[in-house]
Amino acid sequence: MKLYDFSVAPNPRRVRIFVAEKGLNIPVQEIDLYARQSRTPEFLKKNPAGQVPLLELDDGSYLAESVAICRYLEGLHPDPNLMGRDTREQAFIEMWSRRMELELFGGVDRYFQNTDPMFKGRFPQFADYAEAQRAYAVQRLTRMDGELAGREFIAADRYTIADITALVAIDLFTGLAKQPFPSGLPNVKRWHDTVSSRASAKA
Amino acid sequence: MKIYDFTGAPNPRRVRVFLAEKGIQVPYEQVNIATGENRKPEFLKKNPMGGLPVLEFDDGTYLAESVAICRYFEGQHPEPNLMGGDAKEKAVIEMWNRRMEFEVLGLVAAAFRNTSDFFKGRIPQAPDYGEIAKAAAIKRFEWLDGELATRKFIAGDRYTIADITGLIGVDFGRASAIRIQPEQKNLARWHAEVSSRASAKA
Repeated sequence: MKLYDFSVAPNPRRVRIFVAEKGLNIPVQEIDLYARQSRTPEFLKKNPAGQVPLLELDDGSYLAESVAICRYLEGLHPDPNLMGRDTREQAFIEMWSRRMELELFGGVDRYFQNTDPMFKGRFPQFADYAEAQRAYAVQRLTRMDGELAGREFIAADRYTIADITALVAIDLFTGLAKQPFPSGLPNVKRWHDTVSSRASAKA
Repeated sequence: MKIYDFTGAPNPRRVRVFLAEKGIQVPYEQVNIATGENRKPEFLKKNPMGGLPVLEFDDGTYLAESVAICRYFEGQHPEPNLMGGDAKEKAVIEMWNRRMEFEVLGLVAAAFRNTSDFFKGRIPQAPDYGEIAKAAAIKRFEWLDGELATRKFIAGDRYTIADITGLIGVDFGRASAIRIQPEQKNLARWHAEVSSRASAKA
């Protein structure tokens, strides 16, 4: 097994944190997106979408999409459990992970892609759309502050994949996207401190 | 158990088709998005995001997000299997379902949200972005046509949740004049096949 990774990008980090939480050692090969290494014919044979992360399985097949990779690893190594133990818990963790992905990560990512000079010339950027997406993400964080008032983690009484998705989204917002950590969200701040203090957050 | 549904919207249809494939009967209650019923305080108590579908459990808890609802029913009623057997198959189906979700349904929905009169005044629209999303969706139809040259269904040799998401994405394209092109024979063949299943009418 081998993980094609890019240490700077948010989606590969989701998988790296997941792998760290599981305590797995998977060999990693860095694909430098700045140097367009994901667009070489050799890499496109592995993933025609030209994206990382990408997991090469021992049978020579390739698995793309962060959450699909996580689900594979969860199936092979169920403990510590990050995606739900029974049917009902799996469904609720999926709901929360998707809320974090579609409403928070998605908004932050679209803001970043529509504002960062790195993407200039690669696709059209729209300032009005960027601002709507930034507002959408901040609105989601405000809602999250209320949700976290009564609980320690996002989806359950323990750390799950939903926490990973949200952590990576917020760090993208304050890191690459250079936005301030929104003020007046004490529960989000407390939660962010907690999940950031785990060893996996450095992955 | 009850599902809050709206027959005019794409996401609720994903769950209806999924349950029809499973042969599971769950009572549905219509929540009219067109008249803003999903934005009323009573419904927001069930799903603060105002999204549909929502599954209500008998103990009064609510599960939102189409795929989360499907995953619950898959766990309760594993056959016919729609989300994978072993770890690898589950992951491959998830990969394809996500590709259908983000590359097809997501782009088609972004085109509709940002250009349609329906959403005017409801959400901040970015029509210039909507046109880009539409152009990207048209490209993805071409890509999907190529993928379907090598296999019968989206994720492999059998019908799965990825076909449901793909079907609903392609069908929802009509609202923004995004259509299967005459030369896209593989996509047309697949679309005719999945549309001919009884579940497609759900």
